[in-house]
Amino acid sequence: MKKKVISALSGLAVGILASTVFFGNFSSQETIPTAAAKTDAEKVYVPFGKKDEYYLFASGGHSGQMFIYGVPSMRRIRTVPVFSLDSATGYGWDKHSKEMLGGYTWGDLHHPAFSETNGEYDGKYMFATDVGNSRAAVMDLKTFTVKDIIQVPNTSGPHCAAFVTENTEYLFLPTRFSVPIGHKYASLDNYSKEYRGVMSAVTLDEKTQKLHIAYQVALPPWSYDLSDAGKKISKDWAVLTTYNTEEATTNLEINASKEDRDFIVLFNWKELEKMVKEGKYDNVGGQKMIFPEKHKGGIYLVPVAKSPHGVDVTPDGKYFIASGKLAPLLTVFSFEKAFKAIKNKEFAGERNGIPILKYESVMEREVNPENALGPLHTQFDEKGMAYTTMFISSEIVKWNPNTGEVLDRVPVQYSPGHAVAAEGDTVSPDGKYLVSLNKLSKDSYLSVGPSHPESMQLIDISGEKMKVIQSVPVDPEPHYGQMIKADKIKTIEVYPKDEKNPDAVYNQKDARIVRKGNEVHVYGIAMRSKFIFDAKAKRPDVIEVNEGDKVVIHITNIDFDEDITHGFAINQYNLNMEIQPGQTNTMEFVADKPGTYPLYCTNFCSALHQEMTGYLLVKPKQ
Amino acid sequence: MPAKKMSVSSAISISIAGVLLIISLFFPWWGMNFIAPQYPEGLDIVVYPNKLKGDIEIINGLNHYIGMKPFSEESFPELAYLPYLIVSMALFTVVVAFLRKKSWLYALIVVFLIGGALGIYDIHRWLVDFGTNLNDNAPIRIDPFVPPIFGENRIANFTTFSYFTTGSYIVGAAFLCLLFPLWKERRK
Repeated sequence: MKKKVISALSGLAVGILASTVFFGNFSSQETIPTAAAKTDAEKVYVPFGKKDEYYLFASGGHSGQMFIYGVPSMRRIRTVPVFSLDSATGYGWDKHSKEMLGGYTWGDLHHPAFSETNGEYDGKYMFATDVGNSRAAVMDLKTFTVKDIIQVPNTSGPHCAAFVTENTEYLFLPTRFSVPIGHKYASLDNYSKEYRGVMSAVTLDEKTQKLHIAYQVALPPWSYDLSDAGKKISKDWAVLTTYNTEEATTNLEINASKEDRDFIVLFNWKELEKMVKEGKYDNVGGQKMIFPEKHKGGIYLVPVAKSPHGVDVTPDGKYFIASGKLAPLLTVFSFEKAFKAIKNKEFAGERNGIPILKYESVMEREVNPENALGPLHTQFDEKGMAYTTMFISSEIVKWNPNTGEVLDRVPVQYSPGHAVAAEGDTVSPDGKYLVSLNKLSKDSYLSVGPSHPESMQLIDISGEKMKVIQSVPVDPEPHYGQMIKADKIKTIEVYPKDEKNPDAVYNQKDARIVRKGNEVHVYGIAMRSKFIFDAKAKRPDVIEVNEGDKVVIHITNIDFDEDITHGFAINQYNLNMEIQPGQTNTMEFVADKPGTYPLYCTNFCSALHQEMTGYLLVKPKQ
Repeated sequence: MPAKKMSVSSAISISIAGVLLIISLFFPWWGMNFIAPQYPEGLDIVVYPNKLKGDIEIINGLNHYIGMKPFSEESFPELAYLPYLIVSMALFTVVVAFLRKKSWLYALIVVFLIGGALGIYDIHRWLVDFGTNLNDNAPIRIDPFVPPIFGENRIANFTTFSYFTTGSYIVGAAFLCLLFPLWKERRK
């Protein structure tokens, strides 16, 4: 008998073992298709379930927004509002974004820049500047949301930005337009005397996620166009292009194109930092302002072919490449030669109190691709080869900065401004992909009438020869982009609970409405599929106030679940915001219109989303 | 006939059973995995002897649509005393190992079987409670249901998989360790 029991039990034990093996996960390894002999279509096809290899952050120009694309599929993933209102996300309506926008409703987002560590993108922050209303912003890449926006004083249009130093010590914002300091009124007849092209050195406090202006430099009253920070041996330095060194005050098209040469401003930010520490600056309207003619050192001028646009430092940090946008010539300048000339004080006089280096003593070589016109901006691949956009001849030219040899040319449609290569402005570009940001699309896509999209073209640069493999329309207007390896960005999908936040409510039973005089504070929750503003009320989803009350509504989305975003809009009150999973968001307004206003969830959340409603009742004054 | 003491190897086997019981406290015993078209990655309820883990808040949020009451660690008083019961069992097991008396081992095995049966009954009781006491006011009305303790079930857009896991396996192994002496000490 016992034997039978034992054999039965041992049989059971074997059964358990067998079932463990059966349920165990021993799935075979995925087979990786060979990359060889792919067609263009296969190179850009990313099937559902797979994700792109790179993020492309394309500046949105005068839309004031940032466009996020995946590469190589070139699928547009999201639009992130930065300087403009965006009703889709409630950006500009909720309290935080409304305060950040400071009353402005649009912006002109030009040149985005990632935060860097040792000259590599670290995937933590994205910086952007607004040429339209002179602002700078920082976006946290954990959430792809803007954390801070500052108004840059004494500056009008930081087009020549943003570029960050090798370890994000500074974000520099040189300006396109010169104005009198403090934006005071001054006759244009006094332009050369009273106007300045002020550059700001901005720092990010990572703890508070706030931007601060460390100091400013009152550069001469010229226009500053593009910039790049040095790398490796040149890491303490930065370069800017200038135009209108003629200091013309009207019809710049003609008057700022007169001289054969403009300048590259070459400066040592470590030296400027030291000068500020030593008190070598003036206090101007609360800013520490360095006046180069008075506080000497650290800033030099390098002559360059007239009206240059881009200036780009090679990945090894030894050279910077610039060219006049009207000239056919690309010039490779040597940092080492410049350092030597500075050391030996080989100057060819001064302009506005700043020493000028001799073109010949800094120039390494000139490159002149036949019939190529309008060189604007250069990116690099993993071998250090340069890819320069030619606006006028509408092509990308691949060339070797070390020899000047032109390696390949490919036409693009039409008129590329910038190009962006995979991590193409870091100390170690990836190669693989280059996206040409074309200003004109003309006949490339189905017509939508006179207002055309711009066009982005994906170019395979993995081989000796470039190959355009995809074209996609894009909203106006990418001026520059940044392409980062996707795995460098670590997002969160749900906001974590913050028990210290006095505005947050995590238990629906704690939802409440508190009246303080003529202020009504709502501490509510949103969940699938209801709002609860006052858990104890007869109708928990109703807010009742008196005409003229200030209403502050805090709502916590207590669905801690990926992609369960709730919206909150009040009908005819022109109000809408989004509340992400786990987030507490706040809306403030004065209930100045008496009446009955339905409120509802604007972001489709669940099968009963349509039922996720309530009322704002505003009792009229007696 | 005076009872002969069990061999040392039997005593060791019983001791191992005691240790395994303690180890099982740190592992989940039972779980339920929910899969829906919107949740291909699955949602989990994972039950430890002393706590619940997994996507409890999300599952509660979804369950309110069918009128199921929300659950939390507070809903299950067992979670407060179960660890003490298991520790007591472990101590009892170690005592039996020291006594090396067959009669005590039989008693221990019986207690083990009763405990296991009660445990399974307890889970079943809760599944019946939560699956059948649905609020009539719920937006989606479904027939009361009892999810199985083990295996697959389908409710609305969800397919659920109930399963015993690591902690239960460890307890199973402990039980096998208690059975080992029966074979070792069998009359030849």
